[in-house]
Amino acid sequence: MPRIPFGDWVNDTVDWLLSNMAWLFDFFKTVFEGTYDGINAVLQAPEPLLLAGIFAVIAFWLRGTSAGVLTFLGFAFIDSLELWENAMVTLSLVLVATIIALAIAVPVGIWAARSDRVSNLVRPVLDFMQTLPAMIYLIPAILFFGTGAPAGIVATMIFALAPGVRMTELGIRQVDKELVEAADAFGTTPGNTLLRIQLPLALPTVMAGVNQVIMLGLSMAAIAGMVGAGGLGGDVNEALGQLNVGLGSEAGVAIVILAIYLDRMTSSLGTQVSPLGRRSLARLRAAQGLKIWSYRPRPAVAMIGVVVLALVAGGMGVFGGTNSETTAAGSSNVGQGKKITIGYIPWDEGVASTFLWKEILEERGYQVEAKQLEAGPMYTSLAAGDIDFQTDAWLPTTHEQYWKKYGKKLEDLGSWYGPTSLELSVPSYMKGIDSLEDLKGKASEFGGKITGIESSAGMMGLLKDKVLGEYGLEKEYKVVDSSTPAMLAELKRAYAKKEPIVVTLWSPHWAYNDYKLTKLKDPKGAWGKGDDVHTVSRKGFAADNPVVGQWLKNFKMTEKQLTSLEAEINKAGDGKQPQAVKAWLKSNPGVVDKLAPVENSTGGDLAEAKRPVDVAFFPWDENVAVTYLWKNVLARRGYTLNLKQMDVGPVYTGLSTGDIDVNFDAWLPYAQANYWDKYKKNLRDLGTWYRPTSLELAVPSYVKDVKSLADLKGKADTFGGKIIGIEPGTGEMNLLKKDVLPGYGLDKEYEVVDGSTPAMLAELKRAYAKKEPIIAVLWSPHWAYSEYELTKLSDEKKLFGEGNTIRTITNKAFPGQYPQLTKWIKNFKMSEEELGTLEAEIKDRGQGNEEEAVEAWLKEHPDMVSRMTP
Amino acid sequence: MSSRLQAEHLYKVFGRRPEKAVEQLREGSDREALRADGTTAAVIDASFTVEPGQTFVVMGLSGSGKSTLLRMLNGLLEPTAGQVLFDGQDLTALSDRELREVRSKKISMVFQHFALFPHRSVLENAAYGLEVQGVPRAERETRATDALAMCGLAGWEKSWPDELSGGMQQRVGLARALATDADLLLMDESFSALDPLIRRDMQDQLIELQKKLKKTIVFITHDLNEAMRLGDRIAVMRDGAIVQIGTAEDILVRPASDYVASFTKDVDRSRVLTADAVMDTNLRGDEADCGCETARPDSSFVDLCAISARVPHSVAVLDKTQKLVGVVPRQRLIGFLGDEQGEPRPCDAPRDKVVKAVKTGA
Repeated sequence: MPRIPFGDWVNDTVDWLLSNMAWLFDFFKTVFEGTYDGINAVLQAPEPLLLAGIFAVIAFWLRGTSAGVLTFLGFAFIDSLELWENAMVTLSLVLVATIIALAIAVPVGIWAARSDRVSNLVRPVLDFMQTLPAMIYLIPAILFFGTGAPAGIVATMIFALAPGVRMTELGIRQVDKELVEAADAFGTTPGNTLLRIQLPLALPTVMAGVNQVIMLGLSMAAIAGMVGAGGLGGDVNEALGQLNVGLGSEAGVAIVILAIYLDRMTSSLGTQVSPLGRRSLARLRAAQGLKIWSYRPRPAVAMIGVVVLALVAGGMGVFGGTNSETTAAGSSNVGQGKKITIGYIPWDEGVASTFLWKEILEERGYQVEAKQLEAGPMYTSLAAGDIDFQTDAWLPTTHEQYWKKYGKKLEDLGSWYGPTSLELSVPSYMKGIDSLEDLKGKASEFGGKITGIESSAGMMGLLKDKVLGEYGLEKEYKVVDSSTPAMLAELKRAYAKKEPIVVTLWSPHWAYNDYKLTKLKDPKGAWGKGDDVHTVSRKGFAADNPVVGQWLKNFKMTEKQLTSLEAEINKAGDGKQPQAVKAWLKSNPGVVDKLAPVENSTGGDLAEAKRPVDVAFFPWDENVAVTYLWKNVLARRGYTLNLKQMDVGPVYTGLSTGDIDVNFDAWLPYAQANYWDKYKKNLRDLGTWYRPTSLELAVPSYVKDVKSLADLKGKADTFGGKIIGIEPGTGEMNLLKKDVLPGYGLDKEYEVVDGSTPAMLAELKRAYAKKEPIIAVLWSPHWAYSEYELTKLSDEKKLFGEGNTIRTITNKAFPGQYPQLTKWIKNFKMSEEELGTLEAEIKDRGQGNEEEAVEAWLKEHPDMVSRMTP
Repeated sequence: MSSRLQAEHLYKVFGRRPEKAVEQLREGSDREALRADGTTAAVIDASFTVEPGQTFVVMGLSGSGKSTLLRMLNGLLEPTAGQVLFDGQDLTALSDRELREVRSKKISMVFQHFALFPHRSVLENAAYGLEVQGVPRAERETRATDALAMCGLAGWEKSWPDELSGGMQQRVGLARALATDADLLLMDESFSALDPLIRRDMQDQLIELQKKLKKTIVFITHDLNEAMRLGDRIAVMRDGAIVQIGTAEDILVRPASDYVASFTKDVDRSRVLTADAVMDTNLRGDEADCGCETARPDSSFVDLCAISARVPHSVAVLDKTQKLVGVVPRQRLIGFLGDEQGEPRPCDAPRDKVVKAVKTGA
């Protein structure tokens, strides 16, 4: 069976749509956003109780006294739960989605009713829309429409469209054929037949469809909270994330109240608007006589009531809206009202740091919006540029897959907290279990189960693939995939009953505050080094907002600060984060100025320095080193360098189009020849700064008798037949697979394992520690050679090519735009010792601390600055 | 005022490649052969003429194609072949727009199940055709009220269709058709859904109205009694083809085939036949010379029987000018009633003589 690359087709289509139809989606986005903003503004403007009164009058008119009273009570209840604003957000979302869905569904339904062919065509599409799991189009919705209301509206609309179409079609098809024929026999035009006969008679069914659209929309609104649409869905999400059953049920009840109200009102409206329904109601009323609880005012009376309340509400909105907040003034008004959107995952440290920055940036005159999202949508919207930054990126492990996917479109502004740790934990009442090793042989006690989180989470993969194996637990324990809230619920349940349980957890986590838990020690280091919590921004954010970018890059928090802030926020409760942050800032004076120092302008001494330089770099050690070195050195001369980490292909493309100014890591003339040849017309080569380089396979020196590639022949058993590779598709990997292995006759014996540079290095480290044989794909210069004793396998046939040097390449315009910089770069040279020590320094400090590493290294090499920029 | 309706060689075939099927039918293929190909010939070569002011009844069992035929007359269905000429216009050649114009002004229709619009009041229903024509509200309400009054529904204007009985609903349907002042009235089994008593009422009402309005009417029914009562001329359809066209008496007295004859078996002849059909035109010339009661050619069979019982000899039939046109001997009356028109056979033991002898003897 051939593999049908369906997924690739979808990807290609999405890419094509993104690049070619962006104007269309932007148009829709504007329409959706405009409608939503309009309706939301109207609903948010009046005093909650006045609006509740308007809703109640509508219910009074449509259904009678008791419905009116209950409506008022229900909405007042929502208000008392302090969920009013979010409820109105959800209501606007549902209303907009419904209006748009109906604007599409009714015409399509009419069309389908009139043509069997259309009907047959539409039906499977509707099935598709209704059954496709919402998440599948929720994420693309972000790609096309960004996070927030438009994506939520689209997802809701797609989900809710089907019943509208179906019921419209059904309603029209149900109209007695003889009536349509009668209309025809009297010479009615098809349009008039539709308007005067079919639609009025189909109206009750169509209204039932409208009712369904609204109900489905409302149920979808909760899911839309995941893409930052906010509203009650956001509350539900947040509650789930924190296992806060209380808040969850409050938001849930508010949704139910909205749902019941909308359901009853639309079904009553259905009878009101259809002539037949009005007649049967009138007859019923005539038969019943006047009753208080079912008394319904005439439409005119109801209209007057609504208008009076609306006028009062509007008036209060106008006159009450004058007490706007005081804005930051003077020199601290750095932002001048500029809008910044922060995304956050409802994890405690994320909430704490986000609201801290919200407060700080608002004090500095920015307009800040904080959006709550799930991790996936968060990275998607960061990559799409809808969110400016987020403070809760767990790198390099936990969010590794997101980073891999979107890293190119993101900027890492460095870690502000760390290290964190991943671990398995047991309640402290489990005596005698302190480390992972203690779990051995205890499977029966724990029912052989480890309660995990989302199977897609990075730590789950690590646990299953590595940690359990390392401690020989994989036979005994089964890791149960579930979700974070489910894991926490399970933990809570077991803890209450004092039952044995092993859960996957991480620090910092509030569970350690709430329960007495033992983090199981990991003597073998199987979990690897802990993640740091990074601030990650969309590509170009730091360039657009150099001041904020710098603040974020310098952002650091101690454990004491973070936990005290988290505690303050938890104490204040949901919805009061700003107050909690303010209180915390009061008890921690000076934090604002430390985190967001307001400086007098840092004028550069060169005209060309005013223009920021876009530097792209590959996630390769020598490139990271040299790029951060230049960044540091040039900053001293007043330049701003925007760093973008990208893959080779995109870097060359970006350089050729002028999106990127410079890259310091061109391996030429061989390794990157294919790219160079393709784009060289639009590129400039500023010369070699490092030589010599080489690509090679390397083995640890303890593997005896393997000195050259030829020696590998017949030794496949020793190495398990594997060569540990890096990212597939890179020049070196292609060279290896296409030329080198066949050239030495090794292609049958060895399999090249595609992976990533970090994975290869991790594997090398692991094998080296155990003195196991391993073949790694490496290159020189590389810090691994200073870290481990490795043998570069000699390449007698010169199949890897030779004589590559590392050069700086720029776009065509660069030398003209930056004459001084061009001169400096052309004269720039680095020795093997310098580069090696710099790489090692950066590696030792860990990812996110490149700048400190460079700073420290420069202290050791004081002449470097003047050498580079004389 | 009324116009002439003419149908010429109408064919209607449903299914794939209808033109080819018409070709086959013209060459003599029958309906069954076509059905094997999946095409249905609903109407085959129907031709007739309806004179202005005439009521033309198309009669046939269900599935005989009569409703399809009716719908081709106002263009609701497009004939596969043939022409419909009305008021000098070829309806089959008109565009959709022109056809709608004709339907809204010149042809109206009454349906089997009334087809009243449930979301419109009685008055709005009756005024529907006028509304389509674009007549201003005030005028169309007056005209609709008049039409309703004509149909015996004065005072019901504000009611809703579902509040009326079946007969009254159909009166609304009739009023809706009459309100537009169309020349041609197409009635599709219009009284079939009503109970027998109400059906009779409606038939009487239609006959009364027709006397006044003199519309051209095409009436579809499966009930031969109804056909005979209403129709100036009757077409009998079978399997899509018209098997006989003629007056009620033609059908009854001179059926074109056994099929038509079998149809007429159940007909109450005494209600259909008139002196005209029963009388013997073989005259001596002096039959009316006595002072006895006479009949007219349109005297009903029942009346004839009554007169015959009162006069001692054959009943003389005189036309409007008091000219003798025929005689009806009593024997002939009995023969028509029993559908037996031969001479009585002689009796082998004539009892009449014995009785006479006894009487004279006494």
